[in-house]
Amino acid sequence: MTQKSSFLTKLGQIVAVLLATALFVCLGLWQLQRAADLKESLKVATAVDMNVVPLESITSPRQAIPPSALNRTVSITGKYIANFKAANQKDGNGVIQDWESALLQVGDSSAILVVRGLWSERLLNTDIAQSMNIQVEGLLVASQDGDRARNLPGEISRLDSAVVVALTDLDLFDGYVVATSEATRTESLERTRVVPEKLQSRIPGFYWQHLSYVVIWWLMAAVVVFLPFYRRRVST
Amino acid sequence: MSGALKRFRVMAIIAGVMSLLLWFVDLPVVYLLNNDDWKSMVAWIPFVHGWIYAAYVLTALQFATKARWSLKKTVWLILAGTLPIASFAAERRVVRQYS
Repeated sequence: MTQKSSFLTKLGQIVAVLLATALFVCLGLWQLQRAADLKESLKVATAVDMNVVPLESITSPRQAIPPSALNRTVSITGKYIANFKAANQKDGNGVIQDWESALLQVGDSSAILVVRGLWSERLLNTDIAQSMNIQVEGLLVASQDGDRARNLPGEISRLDSAVVVALTDLDLFDGYVVATSEATRTESLERTRVVPEKLQSRIPGFYWQHLSYVVIWWLMAAVVVFLPFYRRRVST
Repeated sequence: MSGALKRFRVMAIIAGVMSLLLWFVDLPVVYLLNNDDWKSMVAWIPFVHGWIYAAYVLTALQFATKARWSLKKTVWLILAGTLPIASFAAERRVVRQYS
């Protein structure tokens, strides 16, 4: 009986050691995967494809932007249906300013947020009527996920279609476009354009940080395997 | 034994300081304040804390093994490194018992 319970205790310890080791190895593998994902996303996120493609050819309304569509230069034709102040926006040079953003209706049933330029220059091109068709070219970027200001009438807290979804029945595209040019059928609209924020990965953390966690988790796995032998050595 | 105790004490104090920084500086900045500059300024804290805690676990395991502690007591000692103040309390208790 004693022999049997001693065997069961040993077996339990072995199983516990194996489970803990497997857990730590898996956590290490998970961090390794995150490091690989980060490296891959940096490749996509920092490469700007300057070839202009129609917006609808790379993404669709009411769905998350596919990673392959991020940071692509897109062309859209539509009409502005609403203007918003996007306050406290930081551009690629680190300058914080208020931007003019607008909801551009694309086709009959969809719309996308467009950053047109600086809020202080919003009164330029006042001859542009809201029903006028505009050809926009710009960089398609991911929605912002942190508020820069408060949501007020005529003002949005961040550049994200989620904050204007209640204001329209149109199907909204995920992300927004930082316009580099706007043109009507007859003229090009000249104004200061916003320099987009520096491109970066959307996966939090750093590549080497993930790799160092791999080392930590696998070190823990090695400790769990080594510990029973160390205990035996200390007790003898 | 005294070497293992000294190593554990040093790591318990450093891990305690890092836990305080993690809980009361890093986490509030990341989850309560919306400031990217501050976030990047505190980004080193979880990274360093991860490595310090791993070293703390090693010293705690060595000390607990040499002191022939039970598994339950050892697990509590290891978990003490995850909470602010707890590793300081564990260090005081160990000093009272073994110094």
